[in-house]
Amino acid sequence: MILVNIISFFLLYYLKKFFGGENFSPELKKYFKFGMLGAGILALAGITKIPPKLLFDFLSLALAGGIIFLIINSPELEEQKNLAVTPLPILVVQVVKFILETFLPSYYEVIDKYLAAAGFFAIIWAVTMWLNHRKEMKAIQIERMISKEKERQLFLAQERKEELERLVRARTSEIQNQKEELLQALNHLKSTQEQLVQQEKLASLGQLTAGIAHEIKNPLNFINNFAELSEDFLKEIQEEVQKENGQMDRENLQDLLEDVKSNLKKIRHHGHRADNIVKSMLMHSRGEKGEIKNTDLNALIREYTNLAFHGMRANPNPINVEIALDLDESLKPILLNAEDFSRVILNLTKNAFDAMRDKINGVSSDYKAKLEIRTKELEDKVLLEIEDNGPGVPEEIKDKLLMPFFTTKKGTDGTGLGLSITHDIVKSHGGSLEIQSKVGEFTRFRILLPNSAT
Amino acid sequence: MKIMIVDDEQDVEILFLQKFRKEIKNKQLEVEFAFSGEEALKKLGDSGSPDVVYVFSDINMPGMSGLELLENIKAKFPKIEVSMISAYGDKENYTKAIKSGAKGFFTKPVDFESLKHEIAELLTKKLN
Repeated sequence: MILVNIISFFLLYYLKKFFGGENFSPELKKYFKFGMLGAGILALAGITKIPPKLLFDFLSLALAGGIIFLIINSPELEEQKNLAVTPLPILVVQVVKFILETFLPSYYEVIDKYLAAAGFFAIIWAVTMWLNHRKEMKAIQIERMISKEKERQLFLAQERKEELERLVRARTSEIQNQKEELLQALNHLKSTQEQLVQQEKLASLGQLTAGIAHEIKNPLNFINNFAELSEDFLKEIQEEVQKENGQMDRENLQDLLEDVKSNLKKIRHHGHRADNIVKSMLMHSRGEKGEIKNTDLNALIREYTNLAFHGMRANPNPINVEIALDLDESLKPILLNAEDFSRVILNLTKNAFDAMRDKINGVSSDYKAKLEIRTKELEDKVLLEIEDNGPGVPEEIKDKLLMPFFTTKKGTDGTGLGLSITHDIVKSHGGSLEIQSKVGEFTRFRILLPNSAT
Repeated sequence: MKIMIVDDEQDVEILFLQKFRKEIKNKQLEVEFAFSGEEALKKLGDSGSPDVVYVFSDINMPGMSGLELLENIKAKFPKIEVSMISAYGDKENYTKAIKSGAKGFFTKPVDFESLKHEIAELLTKKLN
């Protein structure tokens, strides 16, 4: 019976050590304490053989039964229920032995050997069960650790995810703000650019004003003079007609009439000329965009080269320059926005005049400034070349020439937009602009336009 | 007497021919035209000792300007009188022209009365 007490003690000790602690209710702890104490006292009592054997056996079995009952009925020990089964065969054997010993001693003598064998097997069973239980517990423990770790990882991942989401949100709003700011800056830039383009337009109109005034003055002078002359001639004709028959100089009369007739033609011609100049000036100064239509490129070149030349002559620091037009007369009208394209001619001729002025101021007096403008009809393109024999463009700034705000002119002489706008206009016509130059010799702007002549 | 008019405007020729119609008809005056400074020099140079006595030249012309022509004529044919005609009555051109030996400086629109007066003076000088 001492064995039963040792098992009781061991069961309690084992459960307390490995599964006790926080999980146990105070009540359960109390049971364990008294159980262990009871088992210890009983074991000691058994060894000393002080109590009567019957009482000792009964108490021992009752304690063991109580412990098994406790294990099965405590929710805290749910997982350890199997442990209750472990000592059960031993207990059964002991109970049978106790009953037989107490109530049927004659029987006991007969089956004592069998009971001993059963007891032995019960111990083996108990040990096996116990080992099994240990193994199970370990597996459960490992599983629990794994799931705990998993939970921890999940929690960390969740936390990291939240942190990332927070960062993304912060960054997104930052980017959104930046986008707004950039959009505002872009709009601002756009309106500034429009203003600058308009300013550049007005600046080139300003340069033209003198040329235009000169150009208008010429036809007006002709109109006045031819009108005045015609008046004189008509007076003379009147006098001639009023002469007596025979004295009339028919030849003179004929000549005078011819002159009057030709003068009226001249007046009309120069009237048209002035009208066209005013029209082109209006076209140039209007803010609205011109329209693309069939345009005589050669005529446009003649008109605007002339305006640019006289504009330059009438502005401060005029230079003497030979203008050589080599225009392909077989060229048919091509699709152009005449208003825009006139600025290409104005900008490039002005650019040439400015470059040649620099050379005139810089080199010996035998330099003769010359501006050549050529047109040529190619297979599917129209070539326009504007070439000056000015100082040329150094290779390192050639690429920068077409960039907005790039200027070699000092102070307020240049906006740096002329060539950039020129390039834009050529591109908007589906054409290309190339700069060829040799320092000290020439600069040639080569424009290729689609040949849209039909 | 022969005078020369230099202007890049072609209609100037007709204008002058009509303005001096009577003088030309009377053979008092002969008028020659050139449409650029280069052409003027060529015409003057071709005749060896030119019979042109007076040159009226526009200042603003493509290529050789009137002022350059003035210098050239004064260098080659110092006896020929030269007067400038300009659309721009600016002081700079005026002083430059006078310094270079121009006889007169007319601004456009040309006052033909004063031009006639100038030529008439020349004619009387020649007759004397």
